Amino acid sequence: MSLDLGKVASQVERMIATLKVGRQERQQHLQNALDTLSKQADQVSALATKIELSKVTWLVAGLTDGVGGHYPPPPIPDEFAVLATDGSHVDVDRHRSPRCYLINIGAVTLRYGSSPGATLDSLPYLYSGDEEMVIPPSGDGIQEQIIEGTLLGIKRDVAECGQLARLASGLPEAIPAVALLDGTLVHWNLVKYPGFVIEALLDKGFLSYLSQIKRLNNNGRQVAVASYISFPGSTEVVNTLRLALCPHRVLDTDRNCRDCTTRECEAVVGVRDRDIFLRLLEPGERSDLFISRSEIIKRYGEHQVYFFYLKIDDEVARVEVPRWVAMDEAQLNLVHSLVLDQCRRGQGYPVALSEAHEQAVVTGADRENFWQLVESWLIEEHLPSTSSAKSRSKRTRWL
Amino acid sequence: MSETQRVGEVIESSTTDFIAQCYELYELPPLGSLVKTGDSDGELYGIVYNATTSGVEPGRRPIARGKDEASETAIYQSNPQLLKLLRSEFEVAVVGHRREGKLCQYLPPKPARIHGFVYQCLPEEVREFSQSFDFLTILIDRQLSVPTGELIAASLRQMGKVRSDDDRGHFLVTAGKELAILLSHDFNQLKAILERIKR
Repeated sequence: MSLDLGKVASQVERMIATLKVGRQERQQHLQNALDTLSKQADQVSALATKIELSKVTWLVAGLTDGVGGHYPPPPIPDEFAVLATDGSHVDVDRHRSPRCYLINIGAVTLRYGSSPGATLDSLPYLYSGDEEMVIPPSGDGIQEQIIEGTLLGIKRDVAECGQLARLASGLPEAIPAVALLDGTLVHWNLVKYPGFVIEALLDKGFLSYLSQIKRLNNNGRQVAVASYISFPGSTEVVNTLRLALCPHRVLDTDRNCRDCTTRECEAVVGVRDRDIFLRLLEPGERSDLFISRSEIIKRYGEHQVYFFYLKIDDEVARVEVPRWVAMDEAQLNLVHSLVLDQCRRGQGYPVALSEAHEQAVVTGADRENFWQLVESWLIEEHLPSTSSAKSRSKRTRWL
Repeated sequence: MSETQRVGEVIESSTTDFIAQCYELYELPPLGSLVKTGDSDGELYGIVYNATTSGVEPGRRPIARGKDEASETAIYQSNPQLLKLLRSEFEVAVVGHRREGKLCQYLPPKPARIHGFVYQCLPEEVREFSQSFDFLTILIDRQLSVPTGELIAASLRQMGKVRSDDDRGHFLVTAGKELAILLSHDFNQLKAILERIKR
């Protein structure tokens, strides 16, 4: 017997009832957020100063020019290309031997205009050597970092960016292009790892690939890079509004919040950035640019991450770009217009990313086929193929 | 074998049939046309009896995209990935083979090989093959996904096309006489085929 939906149903009923009760309050909080945003429109520099001076434990969006601006989509160039990569992986399975993992990268180039065309590729990479299973320590360190789980997910993100850089450098002609990644550019989850891991994956990996793409922008060539987050759950702009609502001139959450009884900032609690921009933006419009202030961003240098929200039709997406794209009006416009165009061609989601995902995806059946291939090869070579009793039990079900 | 006539590649094979995928979308050989595939052991001949164009991945159905487009071509220009995500395939009934230079109109000892190249037969090969009508017996005996009468008529029309006007008439009359013997038990089927190959 698997999941008993009959038993779950009553719990679903309770969940929906709770959501229903809180609906009116959430609508009020959203209106408070929109009102605050409107009031802050002409006090941007004061709010920016408050952000700089305050010490807050929540992630607050940094400001550029404004908070409530909305920009219509720029025209689409006649000739352009859109590149995208996405990845999937088979993690190390401690119940099986040999120890190995597989990263599969989907890579897509779509060319539009007078010579439309497409290349779709699926590129699997198998890692198994001792040196491939760990990130070695730098200098005199002795403790290496094993690549599996979360860290393998990050390594996969880096591999996606590496493939994107290779795709971009292989663009045949100097036509404007946007190179798209799925998800965030902000690898905040690296913060908890030792410095040598961050150096290997971020400095020498992800950021070096972004630099490769940036260097392609010469002699009038335009290759912008962006990442796309569908239905984002982030609250950085809302957190900025919380800071604006706080009566303290400069806020230190550790000192000021514990004894606070007025709790003005709770007027916007539960609201997400996408709720605000769904109301604020017209279809096709983008918001103002904001800056990510995540701890890890300190290492990003010229690739410091900016973001804007983009209203597609019924959905708001978050688009992140490195600073060199955000600061170049032509590149920013290219990202705005082409990401929107991709979403409209792709039923609400960028078609290049959707196809990259299709190329990358490793299904449960693929995973099992992969392990069978490994095991049959081991047997053919008369090498021991050992697996845990738990693994065998899962594969061979009996009564 | 001539490279210029290559129309696809075998992706599924059995003793009686093979399925081939076209290299280019919609570049399908006509219904009833004679194609061949083979290796160093010899060549297999078959008649195209069905063709399909569908999504490469079984779980992904094409959706209507042309509401705001001016033409069908514009749909493909706006969605260049479609050409890579759709594929055209054709199914072939094996009707003969060539071994050590001898043309035989009965089933071969082995099926076609997967990834074998499939070629459209040149006019002289079609004329050579259609000197005998033994292949009709194989088609009459098959239960195919298209009506057998339609397929036989289509194949005879294709074979007639590679002949001069005078020769074509003689060929179709001879074929009709052969069918009259083979389908002596099924007058309706015979009549339907003869209607379809009339000049």
